[in-house]
Amino acid sequence: MKKITRIIVFLLSAVILLTTGLIPASAQEATTTVNKKLILGTSAEFAPYEFHKRIDGKDQIVGFDISIAKEIAKDMGAELIIEDMGFDSLLSALQSGRVDMVISGMTPTEERRQSIDFSDNYYMARQVMIVRAEDKDKFLTMKDFENEKISVQKGSIQEEIGQTIQGAQLTALDKIPDVVLQLQTKRVNAIIVEDTVAEGYIDSETVIADASPADSESYAAIGIKKGKVELQAAINDTLARLKSEGAIDQMVKDASILAAKVESGNILTTAWEYRNYYIKGIGFTLLLSALGVLFGFIIGLFIAILRMTNIRIVKWLGTAYVEVLRGTPMLVQLMIIHYGVALTLGVNFSPLQSGIITLSINSSAYLAEIFRAGIQGVDRGQMEAARSLGMNRITAMRHIVLPQAFKAVLPAIGNEFITIIKESSIISVIGMADIMYQAGVVKNITYQGLSPFIIAAAIYFVLTFTLSKLLNALERKLSASDNR
Amino acid sequence: MPVITVKDLHKSYGNIEILKGIDLDISKGEVVVVIGPSGSGKSTFLRCLNLLEQPTSGEIRFEGQSITAPKHDINATREKMGMVFQNFNLFPHKTVGQNIMIAPLTVKKQSASEVEVIANKLLDTVGLSDKKDVFPNQLSGGQKQRIAIARALAMQPHVMLFDEPTSALDPEMVGEVLEVMKKLAHEGMTMVIVTHEMGFAREVGDRILFMDEGRIMEQGTPEEVFNNPKNIRTKEFLSKVL
Repeated sequence: MKKITRIIVFLLSAVILLTTGLIPASAQEATTTVNKKLILGTSAEFAPYEFHKRIDGKDQIVGFDISIAKEIAKDMGAELIIEDMGFDSLLSALQSGRVDMVISGMTPTEERRQSIDFSDNYYMARQVMIVRAEDKDKFLTMKDFENEKISVQKGSIQEEIGQTIQGAQLTALDKIPDVVLQLQTKRVNAIIVEDTVAEGYIDSETVIADASPADSESYAAIGIKKGKVELQAAINDTLARLKSEGAIDQMVKDASILAAKVESGNILTTAWEYRNYYIKGIGFTLLLSALGVLFGFIIGLFIAILRMTNIRIVKWLGTAYVEVLRGTPMLVQLMIIHYGVALTLGVNFSPLQSGIITLSINSSAYLAEIFRAGIQGVDRGQMEAARSLGMNRITAMRHIVLPQAFKAVLPAIGNEFITIIKESSIISVIGMADIMYQAGVVKNITYQGLSPFIIAAAIYFVLTFTLSKLLNALERKLSASDNR
Repeated sequence: MPVITVKDLHKSYGNIEILKGIDLDISKGEVVVVIGPSGSGKSTFLRCLNLLEQPTSGEIRFEGQSITAPKHDINATREKMGMVFQNFNLFPHKTVGQNIMIAPLTVKKQSASEVEVIANKLLDTVGLSDKKDVFPNQLSGGQKQRIAIARALAMQPHVMLFDEPTSALDPEMVGEVLEVMKKLAHEGMTMVIVTHEMGFAREVGDRILFMDEGRIMEQGTPEEVFNNPKNIRTKEFLSKVL
């Protein structure tokens, strides 16, 4: 038992070291090493405001919002740290104190003002309708968009405009490139985006329609947690300086030019060009899955034993744990752990920590059931023989029943590992830089909708297929020693 | 003082009463053989003696202590009562040697070298010294049961319980197991044996118990029970099996 305890302690400390060491690598970027830190929350899929771009072979988050953020950090004498996340998560990230400010082309609506404060406006944009070039003649007035299929970014001002178009069937998605992809793949016939953003996407295939939503000027401002008056004042000072210098217009121009540079290439060159992204992603996916299954194993074993005690309340707790975790989606569990816990308890986990916790408790529920079946599958006579020799229940479990149960459930544990490798892709939504996340990054850099995901699929497949073959071999070896 | 005393032992599963009041004293060094038709409660009775089955009512005393008392530490008593099962129940993930040594090591916390000596001696006793490092699945049924006996003996018990030890064996392997049991009896081990081997019962038993319908119908020396049964049930049973 001592040995096991020592191993667990070692693993725990290893994880703590790893997770704390890896936070900057997950989805943040450090610029300089100053003590004071300014954490920027942004959703870097919104060219030319903020987007990923490969510059000198390195992925960077750029855009005029980022340029403004750098100016603010410079004026404050702070180190800028960028946290990239889904647009939907920005408000809660700000409220929970995960980030200090949000610059993400965000419009200061009344609704948002309820939960956060805003700086002065730093930019004005109009909304435009983008349609496929061949449909341009069909959409001459806003009335033509009634009862049409339209896509917008989720939680955006465009979604609100879309809701005012009569009979429109809205598809609201997280990321602008996905919205554009909807149009290109003819799933929708029009999309609503901002003019600034539209510049990056219009080409011979997709064009701006003649009709555009009325009174659609929107403003962008910087989000700040309610009550942070000093920070608000500092930000407004910097904005005033930039406006007086005419710097923002120049930043927009530069960013638009940078965003318009579309890379081309086939799937193989994309895979090769961006191999470092995927390799990094594989590392995180494997780390997440391995630790998820490892801790799931320990927790699951504990739960399985709880479920087999004779104390009714303990048994009930174990059963409830398993049923609740198996009966709720992992995405929901992830959101509760990453944002819910931060909002209510003030505990901010890094994406890696949240990912490991979610995968651990999720897989522990499944592993608990596997263990229970394994333990119950051990012949009753084994327990009786052990007890008849004077062993107490715990000794008998440890030396006689569990070793046999483990051997029996080893293949099932392996399958759970394979499942977790695939399911860990969900963790990418909170900015964990795993394979899935990297595919999204590559998509945003290259503007290729398909190749980055085909590459990701291939990687996942190779990982799971190789692993299942290895498991089969191991299983054969084990059962060979079992022949009677 | 008897080693084991059983007073008015009852055992029910739900509404079905398996044992309907058993009273018995077993003295030190005595070999008690329990016979009777299937379903008569022999095995249940034997399994009550080390509380693998919890009696519904009644008392069992072992070496003067009531083991059915609520606060009694049954594990300590089980160390002194070895048990051999019909299906051997050897630990398949451990070698023969480990099977024998695991209980002294984990329960009695004896030193490895000490336990090693005991194991070697017992392997010699059951005639399987060459099998120390093999796994149970490489043994024949008779060999498995001899190892199971050695495993129980490794705890140096005061009493040995045998639950139909030869019933799962091919006929040609019964002899080797009974031989080991005979040797034990001659060494003065107190034994309670549930068996269908009437010849063995007659030869080795100091006392024969005939059980039927959850009661001891008749008991006595082998001569009394086998040659001169008084109970009509005993007569019927013996006429079928002899």
